[in-house]
Amino acid sequence: MVQNMQTKRLFERIDSIKLKGVTKKYDSVYAVKDLDLEIYGGELLILIGPSGSGKTTTLRMINRMIEQDSGSVTINDIDTKDVDPVRLRRNIGYVIQNIGLFPHMTIGENIGLVPKIEGWNKKEIKYKVKELLAFVSLSPDMFMDRYPKQLSGGQQQRVGLARAMAMDPPLFLMDEPFGALDPILRKQLQKEFLKVKSEINRTIVFVTHDIEEALILGDRIAIMDQAELVQVGAPEELIFNPANEMVADIVDNQRKFKHMDTLKVKDLMSQYDDEYTFEASMKSFDAIEEMTKRDLENAFVFDGHELLGQITMVNLMKCRLSDKRIMDVAGPVKVFHPYDSVAFALSELKRSGETLGLVINSKRPVGILVSDEVLLKLI
Amino acid sequence: MLTLQIILDVWQRHLITMRTIEHLHMFSIALVLSILIGILVGVFIYMRPKTAEPVLNFLNIVETIPDLALIVLLLPILKLGAGPTIAACVLYSILPIARNTYTGLRGVDDQYTYVANAIGLSPRETLFKVRIPMSLPLIAGGIRIALVFCMGIVTLGGLVAAGGLGTVLQNGIQLYQKDAILVAGIWTGILAVFLDGFAGMIEKKLQERYGTW
Repeated sequence: MVQNMQTKRLFERIDSIKLKGVTKKYDSVYAVKDLDLEIYGGELLILIGPSGSGKTTTLRMINRMIEQDSGSVTINDIDTKDVDPVRLRRNIGYVIQNIGLFPHMTIGENIGLVPKIEGWNKKEIKYKVKELLAFVSLSPDMFMDRYPKQLSGGQQQRVGLARAMAMDPPLFLMDEPFGALDPILRKQLQKEFLKVKSEINRTIVFVTHDIEEALILGDRIAIMDQAELVQVGAPEELIFNPANEMVADIVDNQRKFKHMDTLKVKDLMSQYDDEYTFEASMKSFDAIEEMTKRDLENAFVFDGHELLGQITMVNLMKCRLSDKRIMDVAGPVKVFHPYDSVAFALSELKRSGETLGLVINSKRPVGILVSDEVLLKLI
Repeated sequence: MLTLQIILDVWQRHLITMRTIEHLHMFSIALVLSILIGILVGVFIYMRPKTAEPVLNFLNIVETIPDLALIVLLLPILKLGAGPTIAACVLYSILPIARNTYTGLRGVDDQYTYVANAIGLSPRETLFKVRIPMSLPLIAGGIRIALVFCMGIVTLGGLVAAGGLGTVLQNGIQLYQKDAILVAGIWTGILAVFLDGFAGMIEKKLQERYGTW
């Protein structure tokens, strides 16, 4: 792969990031107070806490979008204060909740912006953009020349991830990247992100306020409250040895499963909406367009009243044969009855490795059961 | 009544083809200079916000001087000919272009400049790759206003021997030739409407391409 860079790389890989005694005050209020935290190379560290706890401020002090008042941030023992901030940021991928794709540039131009500034030639940029779009499961030929407003929220977020990866940075900072998406889409992207994470094998600092997300994605979790770090450790560590009540509260999911046996699928499913229904004879190309328009990642294929299976955006993108009918690409889907027990449904889903099932009552779809969403509703 | 015969006659006698070329020549020079200076001033006062208010106030004062008076004021400095007319056009047109450029640059949504900053664009790159492109629809709006100003002022130039269609009007008035006044007046009007329509089209295209609101 072609890889040139005008501004020389600061670091090829991350050994460790150390925050020592880092403090940031706004007027007399501490945003972050005397924070000591080490992030190990190659891990995904979650920063979690209520709003105003200082998690985002901490993240932004790593790439100097916010400058600390005292204390030091070092990456591989290089003090970030000694590095030009522009150069520092080009070595760090950054993804935020509202994505911020530039509306006047195509998807290709958005992803290729920093490479272009770095002086790559057109061919190199095009190659990289295509590679990255394919990596985030968007068909390069279909999306490269579109504008951001023509994309659904989920697709934009994927482009945001691709843009962050353009310079192949060894470190990623992610600020609630899935926060603005609806629950079904969020689960889907989290699942994909896990795959991406294992493939790129980079150091990631990830801010969220969603404990489920933290438990799914994090290698270690740092819990912050009122500008201070309360505890940091692997998920099990936090669950079994919580430092205080607050940590126990955040991570304790024993409580959540207490009533599981008595709950029925109908209590926890999301209402079915007709926009999830796709006709069997539809061409897969049209289905992609339609799903984009409706902002869907998953849909169900029906022939009249007969359920044929489910389609996902990712699978449709992969098969790419645009004149295929969706009935030929639909995959199997778990079907439940509204009065099935939730415990049964969840274990069924877990066994088949799927994240959602369709709830059918007398041949009519009435709901969708999303496994991770069930957990959230139980809190 | 204007017949085709009269129009053609007036057209030839008053060399309207040549006058039109003169007219558009002055007009384009004035407009190009206005755009260059206007955008430069707009970017400058954006980068040094303290200067914005005095500069815009000064330009507002220039704007209040009647155009004919301004041309006459410029006569001793720039002599007879196209000079004073072009200078007056530019002085009038800087305000709308500079003001729209300034407003456009400031109006770019913070989330875009924040992201530009965070992914490692320098302030200069943010200005050229993000702020200016995203302000283009507003800048184009300013240019369109300037275009209408310039059309009017260039026509006035006929009074101070600048040439152009104003000369035809001036001669028509002096010699009391109603037909010449009518033909030149209507023709100037058509040109202005046509150019404004063209500018409007470009503005709309830019709005579609770069606009976010």
